[in-house]
Amino acid sequence: MEQQSDLIAALATPEAVSAISLVRLSGKGASATVEKLMKLKPGRLTGRKRVVGDLAGIDYLVAISWPCGKSYTGEEMVDLMCHGSPGTARRILEELERNGARLAVAGEFTRRAWMNGRLTSLDVLTLYAKYKEETGAGAGVRSDLSSELSELTSEIEGLIEFSEDHEVSEEEQIAFLLKRTLSRTQALAIKVKSAEVLPRVFLMGPVNAGKSTLFNKLYGEETVLVSSIPGTTRDGATRTISISGRNVEISDSPGSGGETLDGKALELAVGSLKNSDRIVWMDPLCASPSVALSGSRQILTVCSLSDRRETEVIEGWLPVSSITGQGIEKVIEFITATEIESPSWRLERMADLLQEAIFASESQDIALAAEIVSEILREAEEPERCGEAVERALERFCVGK
Amino acid sequence: MRRKVKDAYQVLVIGGGHAGVEAAVAAAVIGCSTVLITPSITRISLMSCNPAIGGIAKGTLVREIDGLGGVAAESADHTALQFRMLNMKKGPAVWGPRVQSDVEEYCLTQREKLRTAGVHIIQGMVVKLVGPNSRIEGVLLSNGRVINAEAFVLATGTFLNGMLHRGKDTWPGGRRGDNSAIALEKDLKQRMFHVKRFKTGTSPRVVRNSIDNSLLEKQVSHDVKFRFSWSTKSGIENRETCWLTRTTGETERIVKENLRQSPLYSGRISGKGPRYCPSFEDKVTKFPDRKGHPIHLEPMGKSSRIMYLNGLSTSLPQAIQEKIVRSLPGFKNAVITAYGYSVEYSCFETGEFDGALKLRDSENLYVSGQILGTSGYEEAAATGLLAGASAARKTLGMRRVVPERISSYLGVMVNDLVTKGTEEPYRLFSSRSENRLNLRQDNADRRVYSLGCALGTLSDEKKKAYGKRERKYIFLRKEISGRRLQGKSVEEICRRPEVSPDDIAGIIGFSPQDINEKEILNSVVLDIKYAGYVKRAEKRHRIRKRYGMVSLSVIDDYDAVQTITIEAREALNRRRPETLSDAEAIPAVRQADMDALVLHLMSGSVSRET
Repeated sequence: MEQQSDLIAALATPEAVSAISLVRLSGKGASATVEKLMKLKPGRLTGRKRVVGDLAGIDYLVAISWPCGKSYTGEEMVDLMCHGSPGTARRILEELERNGARLAVAGEFTRRAWMNGRLTSLDVLTLYAKYKEETGAGAGVRSDLSSELSELTSEIEGLIEFSEDHEVSEEEQIAFLLKRTLSRTQALAIKVKSAEVLPRVFLMGPVNAGKSTLFNKLYGEETVLVSSIPGTTRDGATRTISISGRNVEISDSPGSGGETLDGKALELAVGSLKNSDRIVWMDPLCASPSVALSGSRQILTVCSLSDRRETEVIEGWLPVSSITGQGIEKVIEFITATEIESPSWRLERMADLLQEAIFASESQDIALAAEIVSEILREAEEPERCGEAVERALERFCVGK
Repeated sequence: MRRKVKDAYQVLVIGGGHAGVEAAVAAAVIGCSTVLITPSITRISLMSCNPAIGGIAKGTLVREIDGLGGVAAESADHTALQFRMLNMKKGPAVWGPRVQSDVEEYCLTQREKLRTAGVHIIQGMVVKLVGPNSRIEGVLLSNGRVINAEAFVLATGTFLNGMLHRGKDTWPGGRRGDNSAIALEKDLKQRMFHVKRFKTGTSPRVVRNSIDNSLLEKQVSHDVKFRFSWSTKSGIENRETCWLTRTTGETERIVKENLRQSPLYSGRISGKGPRYCPSFEDKVTKFPDRKGHPIHLEPMGKSSRIMYLNGLSTSLPQAIQEKIVRSLPGFKNAVITAYGYSVEYSCFETGEFDGALKLRDSENLYVSGQILGTSGYEEAAATGLLAGASAARKTLGMRRVVPERISSYLGVMVNDLVTKGTEEPYRLFSSRSENRLNLRQDNADRRVYSLGCALGTLSDEKKKAYGKRERKYIFLRKEISGRRLQGKSVEEICRRPEVSPDDIAGIIGFSPQDINEKEILNSVVLDIKYAGYVKRAEKRHRIRKRYGMVSLSVIDDYDAVQTITIEAREALNRRRPETLSDAEAIPAVRQADMDALVLHLMSGSVSRET
């Protein structure tokens, strides 16, 4: 069960000499474990408490506890503020491990907070942006979008239900608030985008299958040396392109001489594929490599150079020509139609919906605007709707957050 | 023709207010011999507060009542003095039809509706129910007479141990000029029904000629013709004028200086008041810096010499009320004919009644209107209709019908009252619905038609008229979906926010012949416009309904469910919801708690324990 899952521990401050270090503990038995190590009476550190004392002879420290349902993670939690030497913190962690705790992975505390409903998906994304903001510039994006949207909702509802009372905002005020939230969302999306790992698209296939030509076609300019002499692309190239408003990292991998080798490369690639990654497998002869290509919605099999000859269309293979443009749209569709749920994409979708809400309010349909705003809030609250975006953001958190 | 009153009926309604009238008519239409008992036959359906029907969500509810075969909409149309469509700039989903009514005419019209439906009326005061709770047999009147019936509807409004307050004065009364039902409340309490105290209030009335109109703002009406009932053939014409004035800083000062003399603030009234229809004392206290609260001057009837001061509900002493009223611009020489007051009354606790508005401890006792915890004529009328229909259906051995919250405001209200409960008088808001874009006033009849058929409250004549409108709807729908314009389907064009039903009428070459046809066109276009949102809302509703089928009766103690939050655990132990969806409706229960409950039910730990 998520709400009181196993005990995790991590150093929440940098592993360096500092005034204090903070070791964080969350999960079932957090309080009891520290009570035992500090030789406290059971219950002394249960609930919202603070104790100063010695922990297992390692350090004299401050322990602060939170009860289930009231902490950051929503579970029982204890923060240990010890002296800031890396050795001390390490020894405390080792001691905790010996007593049943497990070292947390990156973003695990925040994941628990999210799973337990302590943070909404939007909160996680906002947090994510905050951590990517090294300079602290652009304070405007630090506002909490969830609460801003809730506030917006109550303003709109007030306008709809109590217009007679003249104690509420006017239509113009709503449009202004919507626009403000929109610009903040957009700013946040840009910030998140610059920090995130993009979904990747690999162009693969035998030598001279036309991968580089397609790459150039998609990228829109001749950035890779293309020749029809087999084996021209030696190092491969990677570019970030924007397709239908989504950023995608597209890689042109060098072809290799034999089918076996290509098969190996594909096997390797498939193995390391993340959810949002895609492979475009190109082969003018429609010869499948040894690994099974079928079945995966992440792989598109392309019958390339379709302009060179009359190709028989083989089932499951898409005829494409970079020269005539045949099939290109289908390739783009494949790359973009997939649910590439990056954190920034989720925010961009929010921005699109806000734009719709603004349009509705300008067309004198505040009720529709309200519905759209609550749709945004609903999507942010439904884990299945933006789970992947949050997962991707959590992957990028540091350990101890 | 005078009908002879009998000693036994199938359905007996206690109370002749907005709820009681609808309850009695509904029971009679279904086919029960029905009697209505009221302390004052001339005050049937009296608007004891402001002389108006409708408003945001409330107006839509009145149209639902019409769609269900009720009478309030027809009476409101018939007695309207002035109409206003509220929220015209906020989207058709939240348009709120509202009329000023002639109060006396409304009483007469409603009494006529009772007669037409064949309801017998007895003037009298019920002091006691007769028979055990599980099966009530009759009622005892103050004159010693007993009337028997098979099912009963309580519709006592503010009369149950009603106490009126003004300044330091407190006296028993159901409303100004009526006695309080003290004995009946005592009887209900002795029968172990749980009651709570609510309060509400009303404003002073002034003599029309004593006001200087030249200092007031004339209220403008919009150029949209409407009527509540589909049986009313034309739009309502304006027969009267309303005026608007604003309080001056002086008004607020007088109230602030005399707050201690208000029973609301001196602690004399303990009942909870409506937050959204507050007394003027509340307004001044909650918004101390605000000046210029709007006060609407509304006529009590056509050429009536009395005007109602909407927005100035107060229970301060008479002398202070005098000062307050005279501080308003144009009111220097105002003559007050009736002073404002507060009324504190008993109503049933949440959990005492079910979705058909039957008291859980009884087989044949139903409740409606303010004693459910509602506020407002419209809310009362709608619940009255449901309670009356439920009582009649019970008598005739027909199956129980509960309205769904996805398709009507009546359903939203009943569901809220049964599952969430209310800590203050419940007023309907459009935002109480999760499906607001569909719960519109233009399509109210289409939304409730199947409910009306299920309840049995629709006359053949109304069904026939509906069928005619339905055919028109289908015709227009086909006209639109079959057409394309410049490579785009007309449906697609409908969905653009800036496109209005009039634009679509132009495209398909349709010119509405009357108010009905224009409205049907509106419904078709708006249904297409909002289809995506409505579909999603319905899907969420289906998921919630599935929760509704999961019983929580296997959980004896929520302390055994380890993973729910403390707040949720406390609330669940206190409220004991029947199903998962009832649990979800409790504010303290969050999504994570719902997941935990589902896991707990699936884990099998329950079956091992029991």
